[in-house]
Amino acid sequence: MDAFKLMKELRVNYEQEAHYLPRETGLRLIESTTEDDSRISAKCRDAKVEDVWSLTSFFGYSTQTFVLAVNLLDRFLAMIRIQPKHLSCVSVSCLHMAAKVTEEECNLAPPVELIRIGQCRFTASDLCRMEKIVAEKLNFKSKAVTALTFLDLYHQIALSHCTDGKEILSLEKLEAQLKACLCRISFSKAKPSVLALSLLRQEIHAVQSEDMLEIACHIQRHLKITDAELRLWSERVARRLSDYSSPECSKPNHRKLQWIVSRRTAQNLHSYRTVPELPTIPEHCWDESESEDSCEDVMSSGEESLSSSLGSDAEGPYFPLHLRRQHLHA
Amino acid sequence: MSSAATTSPPSADKVDGFSRKSVRKAKQKRSQSSSQFRSQGKPIELTPLPLLKDVPAPEQPELFLKKLQQCCTVFDFMDTLSDLKMKEYKRSTLNELVDYVTVSRGYLTEQAYPDVVKMVSHNIFRTLPPSDSNEFDPEEDEPTLEASWPHLQLVYEFFIRFLESQEFQPSIAKKYIDQKFVLQLLELFDSEDPRERDYLKTVLHRIYGKFLGLRAFIRKQINNIFLRFVYETEHFNGVAELLEILGSIINGFALPLKAEHKQFLVKVLIPLHTVRSLSLFHAQLAYCIVQFLEKDPTLTEPVIRGLLKFWPKTCSQKEVMFLGELEEILDVIEPTQFVKIQEPLFKQISRCVSSPHFQVAERALYYWNNEYIMSLIEENSSVILPIMFASLYRISKEHWNPAIVALVYNVLKAFMEMNSTLFDELTATYKSDRQREKKKEKEREDLWKKLEDLELKRGLRSDGIIPT
Repeated sequence: MDAFKLMKELRVNYEQEAHYLPRETGLRLIESTTEDDSRISAKCRDAKVEDVWSLTSFFGYSTQTFVLAVNLLDRFLAMIRIQPKHLSCVSVSCLHMAAKVTEEECNLAPPVELIRIGQCRFTASDLCRMEKIVAEKLNFKSKAVTALTFLDLYHQIALSHCTDGKEILSLEKLEAQLKACLCRISFSKAKPSVLALSLLRQEIHAVQSEDMLEIACHIQRHLKITDAELRLWSERVARRLSDYSSPECSKPNHRKLQWIVSRRTAQNLHSYRTVPELPTIPEHCWDESESEDSCEDVMSSGEESLSSSLGSDAEGPYFPLHLRRQHLHA
Repeated sequence: MSSAATTSPPSADKVDGFSRKSVRKAKQKRSQSSSQFRSQGKPIELTPLPLLKDVPAPEQPELFLKKLQQCCTVFDFMDTLSDLKMKEYKRSTLNELVDYVTVSRGYLTEQAYPDVVKMVSHNIFRTLPPSDSNEFDPEEDEPTLEASWPHLQLVYEFFIRFLESQEFQPSIAKKYIDQKFVLQLLELFDSEDPRERDYLKTVLHRIYGKFLGLRAFIRKQINNIFLRFVYETEHFNGVAELLEILGSIINGFALPLKAEHKQFLVKVLIPLHTVRSLSLFHAQLAYCIVQFLEKDPTLTEPVIRGLLKFWPKTCSQKEVMFLGELEEILDVIEPTQFVKIQEPLFKQISRCVSSPHFQVAERALYYWNNEYIMSLIEENSSVILPIMFASLYRISKEHWNPAIVALVYNVLKAFMEMNSTLFDELTATYKSDRQREKKKEKEREDLWKKLEDLELKRGLRSDGIIPT
């Protein structure tokens, strides 16, 4: 698409993005909830979104599927109050719905497989019903305008203006960063166009390209995004990305995951941890009652020279001469 | 043509050249043998002696010696009907001696020592009978038991109590329990009867503990046995028992470890892993290895490199054993040592994880359920993740076993949480690599198709169907 068409496309999406924003009041409610069994909290939602990402990555789905799934999830959660025990079902339904419209038929994992791998407690028919509910409440047909939509457009615009754009600005990297942000509920409050632009600017700063910076400003003016708003979200994005790539890794939740092994393997685990029946024999144990043996025991310190020839039957004297002499003088 | 004492099953039972072991098992009965063949001739007559408890204390030592002398007579148990009365007499005498040695005081005169050793030697030292079947498989077949066990067991029992007795003095005994005795004792470890080996194990353990002067000799002889076993015969029934004794010895090593012991580890214990019948003694072997590493952690690198060098390539059962042993080693490994061998180690684990044999894959993946190993992986995720990533991702798509695929998810998820940025990078590289491959494949296919079309056109032109 040429630059002009791209800008036009940009405008169109900009005008539509408000339709696809989750209700702010709903999001705030989730953020303010403390750990509770009856309501979804921010921590709860974030953990679930990370699970959704795990599944996306595992099944080889695109980032597009993931972003759409999170969009559906947040919109639904902001609208309807659900119990935490149903969160799993809702999130996987959103993922499946997003995959159906984004992925090719042949790459689509069947619901049963999704449930099995995700170690979910509900059935495929539960999933089906939940999908219908979500689709109905959100009036979802097939598309949504998300931060990825904008990111994609921005990227194309940047490339159309710079010949070596491809080497400088990597769409994959931007997508990964977007994914990192979406794992925190606070970023669902941002307007997709603003969030995407913040990410773009962040990356442009990192690669230090003057040309790209100009393009970013151009886009900002075109969409009339305020400096204040952009600054706010840029700061938050920067903080999130630095947390994300910090060497302090979050402790993996592997305890929560089930490790099911076959019976044979389970039987043989830890079969070696048998307590030995024979008591330990300390080396060079000098027993009082055996002091008469001391002459021979002195010899045993000459073992090294003897036993160094492992496996040979040729023997020198068992008691090396020089040691025997030593003892006589002792 | 004549089937002279052939032990191989009739050819009808051979499937694809492999004999059906199940058929052989059905035919097998509990066999007994003994090498004590009595010389033909007169039946044995022993004059019954009074019981020890029935004579006054001063006379007991002498009576004791007389009974020992009588027990030197050996009976033929293969002939189940001969000398039944005398066999019973010897048995009850031996029983009596066992009790006597256990409770009595002041019975052990200097004279007793040579007589005890003589009696024991007469009874236990013998050439072991050859194995009944040529194809004795220690893993599958029932062992041939010693027919004279009723007497033999009591002799062993007696000897052990004698060695453990409070009055026992190694300084006197060492004149009679010498290298020759030990050598013959070691040969008995090849007995097929597991009960006998169990007693021998205790006997040798006690001897090693009490006779400091024999220790080096015993270790050397055990080395010889193992080396012969690994490099020459691959046959010896007592490896597990000897390893158990070695375990208690290794446990007691003084620090710093002597060079002799380190050599033993590298030249004998590691090569023991290569033997086909590893499953019979693997538990004991693994225990020895881990004990060594607990004594001296700097041995970790040579041990693991040794295991990797001998990693089984065609035997999956062995591979599972190796993985179990490796996990035990990793359980006690020091972080500094871990860093030294992590690369070759995880390259092998990566291969195991991709194994089409599901038990191997499963056992390898289960490492990620071990908290300590996980903490080590976490600290070094930037090195380990790139090694594991490609195979994990590939098997998540390609493995035939759904349970393995589910376990892979657990592992990938753990990695994802451990080092998110690196994971993203690797995913991106993997995807772009796959895309490039697909593109190449498509180009290749298109090229072939073009060639086909060209060929077709040429053919049609030459047939005059298409105008040239």
